[in-house]
Amino acid sequence: MAPCNFWGKLVTVAGFEADDTLEQDAQLVQQCLQGDGSAWEELVRRHTRRIFNICYRFTGNGTEAEDLSQDVFLRVYRTLGSYRSAHGGFATWMTSVTRNLLIDHYRRTKRDRITDSLEDSMTVVENKESSGRRPDQQLLLGELSSQVQTALTKLSPELREAVILRDLQQLEYNEIRQVLDVPEGTVKSRINRGRIELARILQQMGVRPS
Amino acid sequence: MTWTCEHIEARLSDYVDGLLSPDERHEFDVHANSCENCSEMVASISHLVSGLHNLEQIETPPRLVYSILNQTLGPREAKKGWRGAFGWLGGLASARFAYYGVSVAATMLILLTAAGFSWRKPKLADLSPVSIYHNADRQAHLVYARSTKFVSDLRVVYEIQSRLNKDNELPTTPESNVPQSSPGKAPGSTDGTRPATPRQQNRADGLGREIQVLASEVPVVSAQFCGRLLGRRIP
Repeated sequence: MAPCNFWGKLVTVAGFEADDTLEQDAQLVQQCLQGDGSAWEELVRRHTRRIFNICYRFTGNGTEAEDLSQDVFLRVYRTLGSYRSAHGGFATWMTSVTRNLLIDHYRRTKRDRITDSLEDSMTVVENKESSGRRPDQQLLLGELSSQVQTALTKLSPELREAVILRDLQQLEYNEIRQVLDVPEGTVKSRINRGRIELARILQQMGVRPS
Repeated sequence: MTWTCEHIEARLSDYVDGLLSPDERHEFDVHANSCENCSEMVASISHLVSGLHNLEQIETPPRLVYSILNQTLGPREAKKGWRGAFGWLGGLASARFAYYGVSVAATMLILLTAAGFSWRKPKLADLSPVSIYHNADRQAHLVYARSTKFVSDLRVVYEIQSRLNKDNELPTTPESNVPQSSPGKAPGSTDGTRPATPRQQNRADGLGREIQVLASEVPVVSAQFCGRLLGRRIP
């Protein structure tokens, strides 16, 4: 039984809030506020992939993730003047905006999902034959990634967002606390419960990540 | 304090993320090593976290960035002024362009050299289309002439080698080397056999000339040897 002690250090290295990134983002934001379109373009290019990944992992749907990513950048563009670098990094702020939009989207589409889930249960054979709802995503994702995605969508939104931010986006606990706006103890508890639940779902699916 | 299964489950992520103190870690290990269920759970979560960290990020659809920029900055307008005039230069700073540039330069180098352009004493006049045409024409003819000469030389050497081989195959007894004249043949008269056709004679004459040229150029093949081979004297 080998504990993963190195994750703490590795996450610090892999985290997106490195000092140079923070400085560059802050500089680009300042240029944007002065009306520099190319600075905004650079910000979009730097953060699109991360935002799209969060949206995709949360919704499990490529089209929805694209639409939500656009909504995130639209909101960030409109509210860029309210960002204060003293309150945290730009990436953390942007992740917070993303999280709020995702929760709004989740609540808004809850009724649709219940209907979809009833329809899915009635057409389960068709779904199995077609190997998922989105053939393009089957090509896009590896098998494990696809199975993890399926398991993630079965988690409650609170646990899902915590696991996504911690284990897929590799944010630090204090960054997740800022994004979710909850105490750090709650963050730890959600991450712990989310991991245990996700492992249980994957075990039921016959998947063992290695 | 002895840890229970509830403690293990509550602090599982702290353990996996390396956030436990040494004492807590010891207690955790003591229980996890003695409890099969907890041991399996710890292994399962460790594998899960490791697997999640190793998952690659999903590629962004290419159109997404442009859609975002269109929605925020509006449809992209053509740049004006100096930035518009020299905006295309930004595309030159790419590895692909460097590769194309080197390829084109190498091709031009070969073509100009073939066209007779002197790199040691470059002259602007050499780059005029007429000069390039004349030089290229001259180079082409030179190459053709050298190739023809080379093939011809090869043929001559082959002919000589064939004849030498033929001579070696002839019997070496002195009697057999004496030319046998026909019994009824008077000097200057024919022995009834047909003389060589003009075409064969021409070919023999041509071969003789080529051997003379070869003898003058190749010291190994001496003139006397060639003369003896052809039965005539070579000046």
